[in-house]
Amino acid sequence: MIIKKGELIKKTAVLLSAAILVTGLTACGKGQEKNAEFKPALPTETSCSIRVAGTYSNFESLESEFERFYEYYPNASLNYVYLDNYDNTIVSALLSDEAPDIYVTATWMLDDKKMAPVFENAEVLYDPSLNIDLDCIRKGARWTAENGDVVMLPIFTRSYGMLVNMDIFEKNGLKVPTDYKSLVEVCDKLKTAGYENPIMGANGNTVSGMYYAFSFPLFCDNVLKKPESVAPLNAMDKSAGEMMRPALEKLQDFVKKGYLNPARCSEEIADDYNAVIMRFFEGDVPMMLGSGDMVSGTAKRESKSEAFTANPFKYKFYVVPIDDDGGFFLDAVNLFFSVNKNSKNLDMTNEFIRFLTREKELGNMAAIKRLITPTDDFSLDEVYSSLEGFPEDKSFSYQETGLNDAVNKEFRAAAYKVANGIMTVDEAISAYGSLWE
Amino acid sequence: MKKTLIVTVDLVIMGLILFFIIQYANTKMHESNKSEIEAFEKMTVSAEQIITNYLEDEQHLCDIWANYINRSAEAGTPMTAEEAISFIRKAKISPIIYGHLISLDDSSKNGISTHPGATDSHNYSVSYRNINLFDNPEEISREDGVVSLTRAYTNPQNGVQSIAFMNYVKVLDEATGELKEALLMRVEPVSVLEDKFVFLKGEYESVEISLINKEGDYLVHGKSLKNSNFFEYYKSYNRLDITDYNKMTEQVTSMSGTMTMLNSKGEECIISYTPLKSMNTWFLLTYIPKKDLDANTVIDWLLLGMVTLGLLGLLVFNYLILRFYNVKLAEAAAAANQANEAKSHFLSTMSHDIRTPMNAILGLNEMVLRESREEETIKYSESIRTAGKTLLGLINDILDFSKIEAGKMDIINVDYSFVSLLNDLVNMVQGKAEDKGLQFNLDVDRNIPVILNGDEIRIKQIITNILSNAVKYTNEGSITFKAGFEKEEDNPESGKLLISVTDTGIGIKPEDMKRLFQAFERIDEKKNRNIEGTGLGMSIAQSFLNMMGSHIEVESEYGKGSTFSFALEQGVRDWKPIGNYEKIFRHSLSEIRKYRERFTAPYARLLVVDDTPVNLSVFESLLKRTKVQIDTALSGDEGISLYRQKHYDVIFLDHMMPDKDGIETLREMKELADTPNKETPVVCLTANAISGMREMYMNAGFDDYITKPIDPDRLETMLLQYIPKGKIAPASEEDEADDFFIPDFIFKLEDLDVNSGLMHCGSRESYMVTLKMYLDSAQKNADEIEKYLKVGDIQNTTIKVHALKSTSRVIGALKLGNLAAQLEKAGEAGDTETLEREIGNLLTQYRELAKELEPLNDIKDDGASDDRPIITEKDMKEAYTALSEFCASFDYDSVVNIVESLERYRFPEDEATRFDALKKAVDNFDYELIPGILSGGEK
Repeated sequence: MIIKKGELIKKTAVLLSAAILVTGLTACGKGQEKNAEFKPALPTETSCSIRVAGTYSNFESLESEFERFYEYYPNASLNYVYLDNYDNTIVSALLSDEAPDIYVTATWMLDDKKMAPVFENAEVLYDPSLNIDLDCIRKGARWTAENGDVVMLPIFTRSYGMLVNMDIFEKNGLKVPTDYKSLVEVCDKLKTAGYENPIMGANGNTVSGMYYAFSFPLFCDNVLKKPESVAPLNAMDKSAGEMMRPALEKLQDFVKKGYLNPARCSEEIADDYNAVIMRFFEGDVPMMLGSGDMVSGTAKRESKSEAFTANPFKYKFYVVPIDDDGGFFLDAVNLFFSVNKNSKNLDMTNEFIRFLTREKELGNMAAIKRLITPTDDFSLDEVYSSLEGFPEDKSFSYQETGLNDAVNKEFRAAAYKVANGIMTVDEAISAYGSLWE
Repeated sequence: MKKTLIVTVDLVIMGLILFFIIQYANTKMHESNKSEIEAFEKMTVSAEQIITNYLEDEQHLCDIWANYINRSAEAGTPMTAEEAISFIRKAKISPIIYGHLISLDDSSKNGISTHPGATDSHNYSVSYRNINLFDNPEEISREDGVVSLTRAYTNPQNGVQSIAFMNYVKVLDEATGELKEALLMRVEPVSVLEDKFVFLKGEYESVEISLINKEGDYLVHGKSLKNSNFFEYYKSYNRLDITDYNKMTEQVTSMSGTMTMLNSKGEECIISYTPLKSMNTWFLLTYIPKKDLDANTVIDWLLLGMVTLGLLGLLVFNYLILRFYNVKLAEAAAAANQANEAKSHFLSTMSHDIRTPMNAILGLNEMVLRESREEETIKYSESIRTAGKTLLGLINDILDFSKIEAGKMDIINVDYSFVSLLNDLVNMVQGKAEDKGLQFNLDVDRNIPVILNGDEIRIKQIITNILSNAVKYTNEGSITFKAGFEKEEDNPESGKLLISVTDTGIGIKPEDMKRLFQAFERIDEKKNRNIEGTGLGMSIAQSFLNMMGSHIEVESEYGKGSTFSFALEQGVRDWKPIGNYEKIFRHSLSEIRKYRERFTAPYARLLVVDDTPVNLSVFESLLKRTKVQIDTALSGDEGISLYRQKHYDVIFLDHMMPDKDGIETLREMKELADTPNKETPVVCLTANAISGMREMYMNAGFDDYITKPIDPDRLETMLLQYIPKGKIAPASEEDEADDFFIPDFIFKLEDLDVNSGLMHCGSRESYMVTLKMYLDSAQKNADEIEKYLKVGDIQNTTIKVHALKSTSRVIGALKLGNLAAQLEKAGEAGDTETLEREIGNLLTQYRELAKELEPLNDIKDDGASDDRPIITEKDMKEAYTALSEFCASFDYDSVVNIVESLERYRFPEDEATRFDALKKAVDNFDYELIPGILSGGEK
């Protein structure tokens, strides 16, 4: 998903993140209650029918939460509905007689005037009377509307990094690298051990492609360290392309050393989701670059991989230690829920959202979907355990950079071309602003 | 059966009942569930019909629209898209039904709608470009009546989940002026369809109805079926291999049926499926939790629970009842044991107590035999002795039967004279047979050895029983008793005694043979009801023979007679043949007519040790005529002292003595090295005649034992056995009259059986001496008993009471003796309570008897100065008659003379008073009183 954002929104987002934290704490945050057992606020015999509309054709993790909610409200009936052409139909759906009570939202909708009705109909979730524990949401996953209202509840987040085959590391007596130097050393050792290209991934220019996961967080970090570069970058100023150099040079270096082999990746990995996962399950790739979406697809594909079924191994997600003192946790919300304030069952809908906005339930949903929970509790899914206690100064969301989507695309195009030898680093930097085709 | 076993069996039965109930309930439950599932499946099929009708109806409405538009085209007046939508807008009734007319010519899949978009009320255009709905437009039917239905999708105009019925129409392309084909869609909210399902639920509250396509994607689905695809959902929660999975998908999408699956909670649920008729693209699924169809099992479990409780209750009740009756049985068993003990006690005392009167009978009879000179009397007396001994034997039979029952019967082999055995048998039976007019034939082999070794008593019992039966059951004819003997070649010291008894009696039916030897069984009871008997005899006889390795054989013909026979191995001690038995028998009869001591042994010396002087006196009296020298000792120590000093030929040692009993005394005697009596046989004197005594005394070191009251004949037999032959001399031919004076008051004492006393003491003189000694020691003995009991010395109390029992029986004080015997038993059993309670009564009787005997002291004195002869009864009667006549004739001189002459005689005590009164009347000249005095005397 490509996020479109205006300048105003960017600033608002950054500023309000802190505001939400304070507000959230005041409104509903009572830290000690974070893990407390859910206590129904409405009569448990209440019966109602709640409809959740979304973009997933299949939303088993949410249906799992329905079941858990029924334990408190056995007479409630919750139903998930996939809307065709969601971007175009959600507004109409909200205006119809059969409007959903809860619906999926995304950050780009905040900036799309056409989608304004989506938020006009959204319940403000930090209303103290709702008693929703927004404080359990991780800082990097918090979003608000332009006016500061919290109308979107993050459900899933994703990041970019690599799946590590822990068995290969263990077999070769290696530790998962924590900084760039150790990453290079590990790659050397793995090559020596017979792994010709220790790092693989989908050779493409998508956010799920290997270059985005490998070098984009380093680029973002450079931008954050140099905020004045944001404007020229967004403006496609050619001179701003220089900001890409550190990231592109490291990428080129990896290719040159043979740690990464784009041609082989193209040959063996057809796409950035199913193919990359299945290739990883072959069991001979020490590190597989990709996005959180790639990770989310692993659970269901374990059983589909004959190689993995025959020789299962342990694997975990890590950010790429691209910098001298480690990697960067690029935090991106994958999916939000908003509540239709015109819902015929608004009280019960809010009760369900209150039920859901807890580390346990959000963690449970994320674990089933194998995406990253929007809370700080990564304990429910061991695959993401490396993110537990990740340093805050190395965690950021893309929106914090203030970069627009065009910059994102330009970098991805540059990285792809440099890695595949289409351009040199210098050529790519010089071509900034016209790299995306 | 043990209690735990019963409870276990009960529990097993209970378990089986419950198992049966559970199985039955399960079977019923399965049947019920099966029928419930079948009903559920029928409901699904019914629902399918309704849904199909509904879908066909809706398709029909769509087709009407299409037909109208197409007819216009066919009629040459084709409608434009706008006109067609306008027509539909007018034709449709419900505002929630949308009509869409879509051009499939290009990829944009744009068209026109009856309703404007939700966000723009002026925009009627509709686009399906981003909705994946028409992948296979060729599959959409152009025929009327064929349902062409979309999946559930989002109506792009209003964002509502909808379904659409489709048909093709021809409309005029305004740009080209040509007809073009467009897709007509009758769009309805899915909720309309879902609302129809509400009416299909019927009796199933939890049923959920879903429609899926061939891939499993839902058109509509209930709350419980998750995922967007039923098959994916099924896979998520139900493990099955690919073959089964494919089979399942094939079945669900091709036929009607029912299956069980697990839902997302892991609960069993029922899915009933059926394809929608006239469409092979949609399939109806009905879902219900399995437990909703199993509702009736609750009743079964309730029933099971109640039955379990009931059975447990029954078990507990039975257990309690069992326990109750067990307690009762235990009490009954305890009572039975007590009764059995009482019986044993009774039997053991019976051997003691019945023997006493029997001994009195036999003893008196012995006196008769000794003193009588009349042939007839001797003959009768001999019969009495024989029958009496037999009676004693029968009493022993009863004891024996009890012992057989208790398994305590022992066979005791002794040397015995076969002739003597035959004598007893013949004496007993011959008379009875002759009394019944039966001929008693004896056929005794003259070669039978004279002394055999075997259990004489038991053999005698066996033959007695057989002979008695023969006499009882034979009314006329004869009884033949046959005795023979067979040598055994391989054993020179034994042979086979062959006995048979043949009668001409009633005989035994073959069917009664088996019952012949059963205890208490009496054959032909009805016919023989007048015949006495317990039915024990043959049973005992057979038991004895079995114990001796033999058995009775019976040959019988009903109505003609029977032969009972047996062969018994006996040891032979003297092979000398008995010779002609009949001759011997007749001789023996004549020999025993008059008592004679069988020997004299003036040089033989005996030692008798007994703590009771009376017993010592009796012993001396019984042997008086044998002239044997007898030393007596009143205690064990005194006896030991004599034992050390003098040589004796036989020593008699009482068992029960205070301080040192007979066994202790014997042990000390045997331990003495310096004694002239090393080889002297020691015989135990005992009042205990119960079984097992013999073994006990033999084991204690005695050479023999003899029971008290002492049988004179057995005593003499014993002495003949033990006194050296050189000291035995023939018996004296001298008769000795025994007319020693016994005062009348002795005969009148109720508590005293003089005849019994006489029998035990041997002579009148001895009896009087014994009585006097009894009297002299009474006070002292009574005081000692009292003293011992007072200090709690039960052992010596018992010994003293034992002595009292013995001496009392010797003098004929049987009642007192019996009471003493009871208390002796109590003392031996440690029953101090009875002892303390009854001892007062005993001492009272003892002292009363002693008081009654006190005149003996006077008599002794009188007897010393009064040498006058005692007047005979005849003389006294004649004198009284004369006095009466002289008084009547007033001849008082003659009266005086007679009285004076009577003064030269001694009068019996009961007549002395009358004589004194006569004398007083004469002295006082009151002659008129004399007739009255005399008449009183006559009374």
